[in-house]
Amino acid sequence: MQTSHAAPHLAVQDFGHDAPQIPGVLAQAHGAASIPPTLHLPSANLLATTVAAGSLLTACGGGGGGGSTASGGGPVAKLPPPTQPQAARFLGQAGFAAGSADTAMLTGQGYEAWLEAQFAMSPSSGHFDWLLAKGYGTAAYKYNTGIADQTLWRKLLSAPDVLRQRVVLALSEIFVISLPGLSIAWPAFAAAAYMDTLEAHAFGSYRQLLQAVTLSCGMGAYLNLRGNQKGDTKTGRQPDENYAREVMQLFTIGLVQLNPDGSPKLLADGRAQYTYNQEHVTALAQVFTGWDFNTADANADPGFMRLPMRHIATRFATGDKSVLGTAIPASADGPTAMNIALDTLANHPNVGPFIGRQIVQRLVCSNPSPAYVARVAAAFANNGQGQRGDMKAVIRAVLLDPEAMAPSIGVASGKLREPVLRFVQWARTFGVTSPTDLWNVGDTSNPGSRLGQSPLRSPSVFNFFRPGYVPPDSALGASGVTAPEFQLCNETTVAGYLNFMQGVIQNGIGELKPDYTAELPQANDATALVARYSLLLAGGRLGADTLGTITTAVGSIAATTDTARLNRVRAAILLVMAAPDYQIQQ
Amino acid sequence: MHIGNLKNLQRREFLRRASALGLVGTAAPWALHLAAIGEAAAADASGYKALVCVFLNGGNDHGNTVVPYDQPSHDAYAAIRQTLATPRDQLAATALTPSVALDGGRQWALAPTLAPLKPAFDAGRLGVLLNVGTLVQPTSVAQYRARSVPLPPKLFSHNDQQSVWQAAMPEGATSGWGGRIGDLFLSSNGSSTFTCINVAGNAVYLSGQQAVQYQISTGGAIAVNGITRPLYGSQACADALRNLTTSPRGNNWLEQELNRVTARSVGAQATVAAALSAAPANFATPFDTTNPLASQLLMVARLIASRAALGAKRQVFFVSLGGFDLHDNLNAQHPALLGRVGGALASFDAAMAELGVASQVTAFTASDFGRTLSSNGDGSDHGWGAHHVVLGGAVRGGRFWGAQPEVSVNGTDDVGQGRLLPTTGVDQLAATLAGWMGVADSEMPLVVPQIGNYTQRNLGLLA
Repeated sequence: MQTSHAAPHLAVQDFGHDAPQIPGVLAQAHGAASIPPTLHLPSANLLATTVAAGSLLTACGGGGGGGSTASGGGPVAKLPPPTQPQAARFLGQAGFAAGSADTAMLTGQGYEAWLEAQFAMSPSSGHFDWLLAKGYGTAAYKYNTGIADQTLWRKLLSAPDVLRQRVVLALSEIFVISLPGLSIAWPAFAAAAYMDTLEAHAFGSYRQLLQAVTLSCGMGAYLNLRGNQKGDTKTGRQPDENYAREVMQLFTIGLVQLNPDGSPKLLADGRAQYTYNQEHVTALAQVFTGWDFNTADANADPGFMRLPMRHIATRFATGDKSVLGTAIPASADGPTAMNIALDTLANHPNVGPFIGRQIVQRLVCSNPSPAYVARVAAAFANNGQGQRGDMKAVIRAVLLDPEAMAPSIGVASGKLREPVLRFVQWARTFGVTSPTDLWNVGDTSNPGSRLGQSPLRSPSVFNFFRPGYVPPDSALGASGVTAPEFQLCNETTVAGYLNFMQGVIQNGIGELKPDYTAELPQANDATALVARYSLLLAGGRLGADTLGTITTAVGSIAATTDTARLNRVRAAILLVMAAPDYQIQQ
Repeated sequence: MHIGNLKNLQRREFLRRASALGLVGTAAPWALHLAAIGEAAAADASGYKALVCVFLNGGNDHGNTVVPYDQPSHDAYAAIRQTLATPRDQLAATALTPSVALDGGRQWALAPTLAPLKPAFDAGRLGVLLNVGTLVQPTSVAQYRARSVPLPPKLFSHNDQQSVWQAAMPEGATSGWGGRIGDLFLSSNGSSTFTCINVAGNAVYLSGQQAVQYQISTGGAIAVNGITRPLYGSQACADALRNLTTSPRGNNWLEQELNRVTARSVGAQATVAAALSAAPANFATPFDTTNPLASQLLMVARLIASRAALGAKRQVFFVSLGGFDLHDNLNAQHPALLGRVGGALASFDAAMAELGVASQVTAFTASDFGRTLSSNGDGSDHGWGAHHVVLGGAVRGGRFWGAQPEVSVNGTDDVGQGRLLPTTGVDQLAATLAGWMGVADSEMPLVVPQIGNYTQRNLGLLA
């Protein structure tokens, strides 16, 4: 009944009438003049302006580097090992901080060797096991989410497998679940198992990652795949559409058909084409029925949270189903139907540019050039050995691209460092530890007093910021330049961040204390001290004016006592971390 | 007026004002002239007026917010919603008796937890707008099915429909109609910074062509400690911190924007703090500060109380509450969410009366979209049109506005599973509210570019 009127649409592959418009075209197509383009009003299309920005501006830098990365897979020629500033800068993209061992390995053995070593490292001790080892698998912690914050911060601040942790953080901002949105018993265990799952697949295949995410209890609870049932003609009950919609919009293909360089595929009349419509969502929702936690009692203990959900055939929708208009036979059982659906989505040509561009945005820059996106998408499509969706190949392509390695600084280059990443970098650079091993950083979401962002605490599945966010009232907005992290940047958060950092640089957080003993001997020479933090924190990218301002101010503190030297260290760190040429990571 | 006339109208209006201001022939881009245009509009900014957008993030389930109450309608509603339906006996206390009887003898009730809003309805300060949503132009179900008229882009998608509601464009939009109202009144205000104020974070709604949304926390403007006081004991370092974070930057637009925001934050903080401290921090009216929406509206009320000190004559505010995307747990969570909405709005309503500005402040709810009327077992799915409320002394309340939708699935008013096709466009609501704020009819296309697609440009729900 529900799909009867929808059937004709399912057969239609060109959704032209349904499609978003580019500037002026909508009005013209219906016989009316467009509004003045300078007004930036409704007919301006984001994707079109993004393309314009990407092609006209220098984006991440416009390339022009060594060109030593093969488009289809691994490097064809070894890159020269980085200098120390280059290594520090690279670790700001591929990790969290310029740790001495990582820096030494990079400068000694080169980028490729470091990446391969990181790929080969086993995941460090798992979140789920840690929660159990702490005795949290008991009734007292059944609805506690603070214990999830503990283990999330533990690994962000201390895990040695930094590339994996950094990529997992990025994936957790694409395949989003959020602690406050887990209305179930054992939310911390759902979150912990979810992060372990992302770790397990971060360097594997995208298709397996997609399946593991889909069947995870955390995602099942967050986007309601868990408990989703077939329709009931007697009551009119319909399958829940939430996962069917968001798996397409956010985790695989996005809303409009893309070229391999991430630009929208436009029809001759300038219109973009949707990848799916409401009828496709309704049809796919039928496929995602029958899944539930793999336990008889979800309250008893959290052990099931690390198991994939199980399929219950009696709750599975009967009848023909489809994914993106491609039929799935009624004879297919639930897991088979889901496999067909995920295969179809994972093989869609949008996935490489759609997911690839977001990984570039998370690791390298906000506004990559179409050519950069195309190179990443090519690596997604083929890792050089004919394999599609090899995450290692994607990560290599993202991090070793000429545009990432040798950027030229332009009007739209770089990205605003995420608040969480700034804090983690500070903590790792200055040896913050947790003597009790409880890592009580807590929820850092408060925008006025903390970071305005906290891992796995996004306000919705749309993440803290959107890949398509364009800051209004700015040169960025006027040119349609995407700058996702600016969605978190406002009058409250800029002050909250500076105040939070001023406090933690001085006092740490509770028992989590920085160790500045290695810094004090360097504090007598303000120039050297500031240069050191420019290197460690900003990859040596602070401008001469910034260095001069900070050095003069820090040098004005007379370095006559250990307390004064300590204040020099603190002031130098805060001023570097406040500088716009630090906060905007190039 | 058809949209085709819009360009000409804007050009004519601009030229009229530009010539009055001696600007003809200058080469500056259009947007740069808007402040000058706003100056010409200042004549309309007598007294004080404010608009408050209360955004319900996630897509509010309108079906359980304004509930069919007459027996046949409730029977139909209960048959469709099954376990999601609110039993009729629980609605008796919030059943509404409008001053203008509804067609077909139909009746509606507010959700039981919206009971705090019933007195405002009964007193004529709260109006219910039925089935409003994003449209490009008036659209019928047949036209939707045939895709024969332009439709809002990216229907049913949260982020995009939030943006279309606020800015008539999907994600990536850079100005919303709240901000564009602000554009026209920037020069009426002593400080343009306090024209568009967001207490909820960041929303394109409040960004104009010129108007910049000013973000404030529920605790007020946050001072940067390391600037207002010596940093780790050093005044030179405090000065350096101010210099580094607030000085204009060179080439890179991201650096420029970061420092612009920080400069605004630092520059406005002392003014806001002084203005807020000069006005009472609390009202006789209690606000439940464990309710995040009430905390935000309390800050709005305090800012309105400080309007003279802030030099504000026209303001647009934005507040929001999340958690409405209830594909699951609708019965468990939706009543409490609506309780927060009802409690917060009732406190705000009383506080405005306390300040003597009830007729000068209008609040309205908005959301990504409505939801399906049909149930998925434990919740509802993404829809389109929805019912909303408009609250304030200027509202012609105590009655319903818009067209009553049929209570059905795959009926005359829905596009499947009870997803309502809106019969009133957001553009019409926007134009109605903008007109009340003092935007002239001739200027309306600057604020609501698609308004020319509608014959009814003012819904009449504000006096």
